[in-house]
Amino acid sequence: MMPAGMAGAGPGLVAGGRGGRRERPGPGRLARDSLLIAGRYLRVLRGSPGRLIYPLLQPVLIMVLFVSVMENLASVPGGLYRQFLIPGIMIQNVVLTAPVTGLAIVRDAATGLADRFRSLPMPRSAVLSGRSASDTVVFFAQALVMLGVAYLLGFHVRTGLAGVAGIIAVVIGFGTALGITCAWLALLIRDVETAERALYFPFIPLAFVSSAYAPVDRLAGWLQPIARVNPVTAAVDVVRALADGGPLAVPVVHLVVWTAVLAVIPGMLAVRRWQSAP
Amino acid sequence: MTHPTAEAGGLAIEATAVAKSFGSVQALRGVDLTVRPGMLAALLGPNGAGKTTLVRILTTLLRQDAGTVRVLGRDVLAHPYAVRALIGLTGQYAGLDEALTGRDNLVLIGRLAGLGRREARLRATELAERFGLAAAAGRAAATYSGGMRRRLDLAASLMNRPALLILDEPTTGLDPGSRVELWAALRELRELGTTMLLTTQYLEEADRFADAVHVLDHGVIIASGTAAQLKARTGEQVVDVLLAGQDAGAAAAALRPSIAAADLRVDEASRRLTILARDGLGTLLAAAALLQAAGIGVADIALRQPSLDEAFLTLTAGAPR
Repeated sequence: MMPAGMAGAGPGLVAGGRGGRRERPGPGRLARDSLLIAGRYLRVLRGSPGRLIYPLLQPVLIMVLFVSVMENLASVPGGLYRQFLIPGIMIQNVVLTAPVTGLAIVRDAATGLADRFRSLPMPRSAVLSGRSASDTVVFFAQALVMLGVAYLLGFHVRTGLAGVAGIIAVVIGFGTALGITCAWLALLIRDVETAERALYFPFIPLAFVSSAYAPVDRLAGWLQPIARVNPVTAAVDVVRALADGGPLAVPVVHLVVWTAVLAVIPGMLAVRRWQSAP
Repeated sequence: MTHPTAEAGGLAIEATAVAKSFGSVQALRGVDLTVRPGMLAALLGPNGAGKTTLVRILTTLLRQDAGTVRVLGRDVLAHPYAVRALIGLTGQYAGLDEALTGRDNLVLIGRLAGLGRREARLRATELAERFGLAAAAGRAAATYSGGMRRRLDLAASLMNRPALLILDEPTTGLDPGSRVELWAALRELRELGTTMLLTTQYLEEADRFADAVHVLDHGVIIASGTAAQLKARTGEQVVDVLLAGQDAGAAAAALRPSIAAADLRVDEASRRLTILARDGLGTLLAAAALLQAAGIGVADIALRQPSLDEAFLTLTAGAPR
């Protein structure tokens, strides 16, 4: 943590020669360096596109399997189960993809590159925000693939293009926020292998104890209060409302609050954790 | 290259009573260290002496528990960003992205150090050429040999033209050829006026190349000076005996009557005995007579100044535990 006395020492932007009395970098520098870090991750992704196969193939597989297996087992009031289930599977995929970010951060934290970054006059939060920025690209690609498969499976977005854009925004926003939470948890755990196993664990109940597969009032009684406050329920409900043209206000507020909470608080804690890493 | 180092009486590093503990382990127990600009200073110490901890404090990666550290006139706790803008770090593990090309690594690190896009590209090209990486600059760093990776890492640390370069065991793990190349690069940097502090386990290197040597042991600096001064501090000359046969044990036994066990070091593998020459030429004559009386063949025997190696061992043997 920085001593308070030095924070106000000048505009902090990148202007000015190196070697000067430049103090703590400001928001302009944060944006610039985040983009540089994001560019780094995307360049790596371009160099080995194989890394995109899993996040893009996984939703295809899960969506086709779940719809085929479960469609005839369940029914929901007022429509096809397929139309109900697909938003749930979309968000479930986002939940399963998010831990990848956390793991990438921990992997980096354990290398000499992290020390290199920490020894540079850059804002330290840029490493985290840069990684999150590059993740939005992955979630964007995942959203497009999921919408494509969903369309082929007969999923309808009744609100047209605005609804499609809204669903993409939910996937990106919710996915990135969860990714930041995962980064924080992974930095708490520190050990990559433990983090790999541990991060998926809380996400299984998170995905199931929600409105993803069944309406909340059909769940076991003791699960219902948990499912109602679950951020997954918020995200799924917004996607459903966008697809079916249902009322948006309540689920959107619910989701925006959750996304902000998941991004901001763990984000700040993760940056602190990153800074203080040994 | 001129750098603003005047504020602290021109010292590149000024550390006073620096202490750091990890739990119950005291890694540093009151380190005092000064490095003048333009010098190549070596920080020498056995594993676990606290070298890396000190390097991490100097480079703002770690905060000390007590004591003050000024790097190029800036306090590391009060002005870490100012310190970071002025230093380069070549850590123990290469600070590179393996998946990026050599050039992309340099440009990224240069940009994050504050250079503009064009400036970073020019500097990357210049440094890749200087370190013999121009041909490989378009390849992923993962394909580089150990020596190339070290040179790329060093080049990355130089992107922002640091006034002080700090290197943590830069030659560890390099083959002899790469080590020579790296040292040539470091000497060239020193001639250009870059101040350097490096940690090393290779005493011979510190002896040959460093302007000042600081010996760190169990978290305190136990000796500072030029290599010659450190050798002189340990005082006595030594008698070096190279045995003709394999009977190092018998030779040691033969010497025992007139030479204290503490003054004698036996290296069975190289058939070498080193005797602290408390009596100068007299010790040599006495040893020669004892060996001859025991019928032990001697290939070579000489009186000489102690090596830094021996000075180091003598110094660390007397240090508080």
